[in-house]
Amino acid sequence: MAAIEMRNIVKEYGDGFKAVNDVSLDIADGEFMILVGPSGCGKSTLLRMIVGLEDITSGDMVIGGDRVNDKAPRDRNLSMVFQNYALYPHLTVFENIAFPLRLQKGIAEDEIRRRVREAAEMLELNEHLDRKPANLSGGQRQRVAMGRAIVRSVNAFLFDEPLSNLDAKLRGQMRTEISRMQRRLGTTTVYVTHDQTEAMTLGDRVAVLRRGFLQQVASPRELYEQPVNMFVAGFIGSPPMNFLPAVVDGDRLKLPLFSVGLPAAARGRVADGQLLIAGLRPDHFEDARLLDSAKRERGAVFRARVDVTEWLGDSQYAYIPFEAGEVTKQLAELAAELDSEALRTQLVVSIDAMSRLRENHEGEFWADTGRMHLFDPRTGENLTRDEAAAADLAQLEQEKLRERMGSPGTASDEPVARR
Amino acid sequence: MSTSRRTQAGWIAGAILIIAYAVIPVLWIVSLSFKEGDDITNNAFLPTVWSWENYRTVFASDLFTTALRNSVGMALIATTISVILATLAAYAVSRLNFPGKRLVLGVALAITVFPVIAIATPLFNLWRSIGLYDTWLGLIIPYLSYSLPLAVYVLAAFFREIPWEMEQAAQVDGATAWQAFRRVIVPLATPGVFTAAILTFFAVWNDFVFGITLTSSEAARPVPAALAFFQGASQFSQPTAPIAAAAVVVTIPVVVLVLLFQRKIVAGLTNGAVKG
Repeated sequence: MAAIEMRNIVKEYGDGFKAVNDVSLDIADGEFMILVGPSGCGKSTLLRMIVGLEDITSGDMVIGGDRVNDKAPRDRNLSMVFQNYALYPHLTVFENIAFPLRLQKGIAEDEIRRRVREAAEMLELNEHLDRKPANLSGGQRQRVAMGRAIVRSVNAFLFDEPLSNLDAKLRGQMRTEISRMQRRLGTTTVYVTHDQTEAMTLGDRVAVLRRGFLQQVASPRELYEQPVNMFVAGFIGSPPMNFLPAVVDGDRLKLPLFSVGLPAAARGRVADGQLLIAGLRPDHFEDARLLDSAKRERGAVFRARVDVTEWLGDSQYAYIPFEAGEVTKQLAELAAELDSEALRTQLVVSIDAMSRLRENHEGEFWADTGRMHLFDPRTGENLTRDEAAAADLAQLEQEKLRERMGSPGTASDEPVARR
Repeated sequence: MSTSRRTQAGWIAGAILIIAYAVIPVLWIVSLSFKEGDDITNNAFLPTVWSWENYRTVFASDLFTTALRNSVGMALIATTISVILATLAAYAVSRLNFPGKRLVLGVALAITVFPVIAIATPLFNLWRSIGLYDTWLGLIIPYLSYSLPLAVYVLAAFFREIPWEMEQAAQVDGATAWQAFRRVIVPLATPGVFTAAILTFFAVWNDFVFGITLTSSEAARPVPAALAFFQGASQFSQPTAPIAAAAVVVTIPVVVLVLLFQRKIVAGLTNGAVKG
């Protein structure tokens, strides 16, 4: 187990393209760090630079206090789970898991057998030990790949989108398994994904990357509630945050469907008549008819025609089209960058599943404008980020990690992790 | 319905035609080898009396048995060396980037299209002056130079099929480049190694040009060349039937080899390596 420090890491390819650009990131000992971003953002490249499969153009990669830039992968004492598992097809499950141990000199056969059994036990693979990978299901193969990773005691686990080849149900189960395993072993983990749910649920902290640049590193909660810019705000959350044009009009802010008072945080930072982009998450809305009056006072109420509704049993989404005007093109660009397509500008609103709103009818909605964020359309910077609240959330996350690492009975009594 | 039946009939007819084309000459030689004495002029496909006489003649002659020993020995040595070198070379060609890689591949390809007969005479002179003429080594060297490029090409194709991740996983698991190659890549390329080995073996086994130009005695003469020196039971009869018998004898190992390794040459060994 070890901390991983990255200082100004750059990956430049032969054609001058920088896949990873000046990334500095500290991953604490025992921390579960998620690298997330749309495809081509450099997250996998960064992971492969940690493990040593990709050369580092410049910067320092420090694992457990040692600079490892020039070390071969085998000298870094890390283990990795590949997206396609990369199991050895000519070896049985047992030999696949034992492979890293066999490469280490001087481990007795008994010891190897014991450790493999323990790892297999943990992953419930014991009955499959004599089978070849070709005869296993996708989920079993995935577990074998994890077994191979946990069988030795390593400085860190690295996961490269390990669940993306599984179907949705299995993915949910394996996600919990990975989380449980990491908590038990207490090993530093770096996990690359493009999946929202994995990013939000697994990590202590999440690093959001965009075109090789690090955007924000924070706990999932902070990313969701206090994003630093429009990119992070749009990337985190599903369905994504709604972006609406907002024009400053004195101390009011005019949006396409309603107007609100200018938030205190933005005052003094914006000029009269300036065009901003307002960000409101789907769950910041509600069907106004199902609201108590106390809550109603805190936000803005507006009437709008619902285009489509989606009822999911436990939740319901309503789609409200609007005209974005000047910022349409910019929103479309952002959407494209976030791997989605904005065919039309529409407001996605999460309303109570009990609501009987009908399609093509007008409804009355309430927006929790207190939680609204304002972004500068040119830089994308969040003008209303609450630094104090963000610091609180960061503090909370730190405490959680410290508590987990400090508490007895996590890493110390785990046989697989024993040296 | 009727069209599918007609296509099926067409396929069967075609298959029979092709099989007949390939098999009849072989059967003919087999039948010839069983004809006794003057029976070869019987104007019939099958011998009047089946006889082992020709086989006895063949094995009784020193010419054939030493030639057989030479052929087996040289083919095995050349194949082994060629496959080992080709495995390493193909790995380098498919995985590593080094200056002059294209040149190496180009030269390798050029060698395979180079006519064998064109270098037979220069080699004859060279070998005579440096003492390699009429030795096993003198034949194994040209065999290697002709079989290596072929083997490299076959193996490089197999190596390219193996996912990169296999090696990277091995490296992360703590393997050196050599260990990753030995313990992961080579086992995965086994079908390729066998294919290359068989092709090399055939090429060497069937060689005639080098065998006849670079040898002068039984010390190194391989079977195909030896057959040209074959004599019949008497000086005045054509040794057609004994030659047929010898041909059958040298064909048997090849057939056995193919049947033996057919199982090994199954693609799809990489099934299950990656999510498929």
